[in-house]
Amino acid sequence: MRIRRLAVLGLVVAVCLVLLTVQTRGHAAPAADLIALITAPVQKALTGVHRVSLGMWTTYADWKNIHIENHRLRDENHRLRVEALVVTETLQENGRLRRLLDLRTRMPLDTLPGEIIAREWGGWVRSLTVNRGRADEIRRLTAVISPDGLVGRVVEVRPGTSVVQVLTDPASTVGAHVLRTRTPGLVEGEPRGTVRFKYMARDGALAVGDVVVTSGQGGLFPRGVPIGRVRNLDQKTTGLFHHAILEPLVDLASIDEVLLVTGNRSTDVSAHFAIPSGG
Amino acid sequence: MRGLLALTVFGGGIAQATIAPALRVADVVPDIPLIVVVLLALRRGPEFGCLGGFAAGLLQDAVGGGLLGVQACTKALMGFTIGALGGRLWVTQPLVQVPGLVLLSLGEGLARFLLLKIFHFPAPFGQLMTYVVLPQALYNGFLGAAFVFALTWTQARRGEA
Repeated sequence: MRIRRLAVLGLVVAVCLVLLTVQTRGHAAPAADLIALITAPVQKALTGVHRVSLGMWTTYADWKNIHIENHRLRDENHRLRVEALVVTETLQENGRLRRLLDLRTRMPLDTLPGEIIAREWGGWVRSLTVNRGRADEIRRLTAVISPDGLVGRVVEVRPGTSVVQVLTDPASTVGAHVLRTRTPGLVEGEPRGTVRFKYMARDGALAVGDVVVTSGQGGLFPRGVPIGRVRNLDQKTTGLFHHAILEPLVDLASIDEVLLVTGNRSTDVSAHFAIPSGG
Repeated sequence: MRGLLALTVFGGGIAQATIAPALRVADVVPDIPLIVVVLLALRRGPEFGCLGGFAAGLLQDAVGGGLLGVQACTKALMGFTIGALGGRLWVTQPLVQVPGLVLLSLGEGLARFLLLKIFHFPAPFGQLMTYVVLPQALYNGFLGAAFVFALTWTQARRGEA
């Protein structure tokens, strides 16, 4: 066994030495050619494998880099979207507050700004809760307005909050008139969340697109606060009164800030509202 | 035996041609065929180590474009030596593996230099040892130890299963 091993070693070393000697004595060409003939396909295969492996490795490395980059960009995108959302939200809030402040400044009324902190939006009751209450000397039936128009009235005052009955509440009634024709009537809320204007029937009293404002009768609301725009006229009834469906000028479902009219309410304020043209 | 020999030759050669350039550290490339020959010689004995080393070295010589037979001879010698000594070494210990492979690689480098010197190889010994043989020997030592560790771990897992 040992002799066999040594024989194998000797044979291998001898072959190597012969190979080397043959090459260095200038007779390398046939041997080299023979070896090249055998090894060339192997070399080609190795090179192919090398290239494929390298290509796969490079592809994998690229993919991994792209994967990491993708993750990074996704995180960054998410962060930027959140930031953009915050900025947009802040800008919108800023815009709303500016409009509110502007209205408060130019309005010849004593007002107190308030923030909506809760909403009751069922069919039975439609109300908003404002962060102003007894501590701010808010009283029951205080008029609540926004830069777009009338919101409603305070129906309940608590220590730090007030509940505002909005125009669309089924129990809400506001004395009003048509801005163009001065036709008087009543604005009433409906259970389905719409507002209707009940008025005495006469020709040409109302047209679609007319703006209805508070009349100021009764001293509850200041005169001239925009309520809504006539969307439909219901003239099928033959009674003394006709009805018109109004589209409230204030988006009551999404309003966030309001003004509570705390002082004198007898002034006509219609000139201080920018009533959008339409209809 | 033939299958393993072919695997030694081609596996080592392919690894040297494909993985080794990717494993280059500070321009030092490990000698993967030598590591494979050592591992096979430890398991299969001197005869197998000798033939495997010859085949792997010959392929490296052919691929590298140098004198045919130099690496075939040195790797055959190393395969035979480690195959013969394997039973007496505590090769599962990293403290034996790393210095063992370093010494073996140094021995192979030295043998290659001496063999080439017979055929008037011009490179100075000092530079060759400092910049080529020693760094590669160190690299081989650590890479070989990692191979052995991976093999031992795989066998242990297989044994558990």
